[in-house]
Amino acid sequence: MTWSEDAAEALADAGVELVAYLPDSKMDVLIGEVVEDDRFETVLVSREEEAIGVLVGAWVGGNTGALLCQSSGLANTFNAIGSLSVPARVPFLGVVTRRGNLGEFNIAQVPTGYNMDKLLDDVGVRNTVVTDPENVRETITLAGETAFSTQSPYVVLLEQTVTGRKPEAADD
Amino acid sequence: MTDARADQYACTESLLNITPDAAVVSNLGVASYVLASVSDPERARNFYQWGSMGVTTAVGLGLALSTDEPVTVLDGDGSLLMSLGVLSTVARYDPDNLTIVVWANDVYGTTGGQSLQASHTDFAGIAENSGLDAITVGRPTRSRTPTGAPPSPRASPSLSATSTPSIPTHGQHLTSRTSPGVPAIHSRPIHE
Repeated sequence: MTWSEDAAEALADAGVELVAYLPDSKMDVLIGEVVEDDRFETVLVSREEEAIGVLVGAWVGGNTGALLCQSSGLANTFNAIGSLSVPARVPFLGVVTRRGNLGEFNIAQVPTGYNMDKLLDDVGVRNTVVTDPENVRETITLAGETAFSTQSPYVVLLEQTVTGRKPEAADD
Repeated sequence: MTDARADQYACTESLLNITPDAAVVSNLGVASYVLASVSDPERARNFYQWGSMGVTTAVGLGLALSTDEPVTVLDGDGSLLMSLGVLSTVARYDPDNLTIVVWANDVYGTTGGQSLQASHTDFAGIAENSGLDAITVGRPTRSRTPTGAPPSPRASPSLSATSTPSIPTHGQHLTSRTSPGVPAIHSRPIHE
């Protein structure tokens, strides 16, 4: 299976019912699979912090949720995570394509992308980095399970060694 | 002078009287304080925001998509102004059990009453152009010119009002004699 097929199965294995997302080039294939998968209700948001609100509302309504976005988009969510998800003890599973590290060609992706694990630590959100596609399914499944059982968010950062680099990265 | 704004307490109380079983998601600050004061503060179906300004309507959307029961959002104009894109998202999924009420008083009430300086902004119009049914409750005090000249500023940023607007039953639009009023943004089927 591809990393994205593994990720979709892991979301289902973890009990995710609603997926809020914003497009990203490397996330596109996983988003496509999730949108076509009847096991998930999907919500395309206009900005990633909206997704945090949607996932909190879904949890209040009895549904477990996941966020799919890119690391720069996750940086858009920090006040919502810090002032709503964390203090209200509302879990979500974040599956985030991480930019800014190995293979990065765009300096604009570096400050929040490369540092996203530390930023999440500082705001009190557990996280882990996946560098090997072989580990995608188990990591996302376990991340979702611990998020929902501890009622706290958990974010999985997928490196470009998992998702592949953008074509632009190889052009220069 | 006569402050002709909608009475937020009376509006919130009437809303609860008409839809007593609705889950209510309230914006941080004044919207939550008012909700807590006109209902049982421990009402299980009140979801007060203590932060996350700009995300209140999104919370209501997520809840409305996850239940068949009525959901009402009490948002502030300052909060909604942070996240106008959410109106497009609401229209995209269009849950018919969601009503969004925006306290359009042009004031950041919780931080001391500073003006939004957005009295030229028509929140109901933005909602309509995002694909939602929307209406502004209140007596117009500003005359719009064809050239779209901004209205003159109002004298007082106060939330208080001298008259009590009527509140709709479910599915009806708000009507009121007060101004600038309360845009109520109703989700509706967009493919009718």
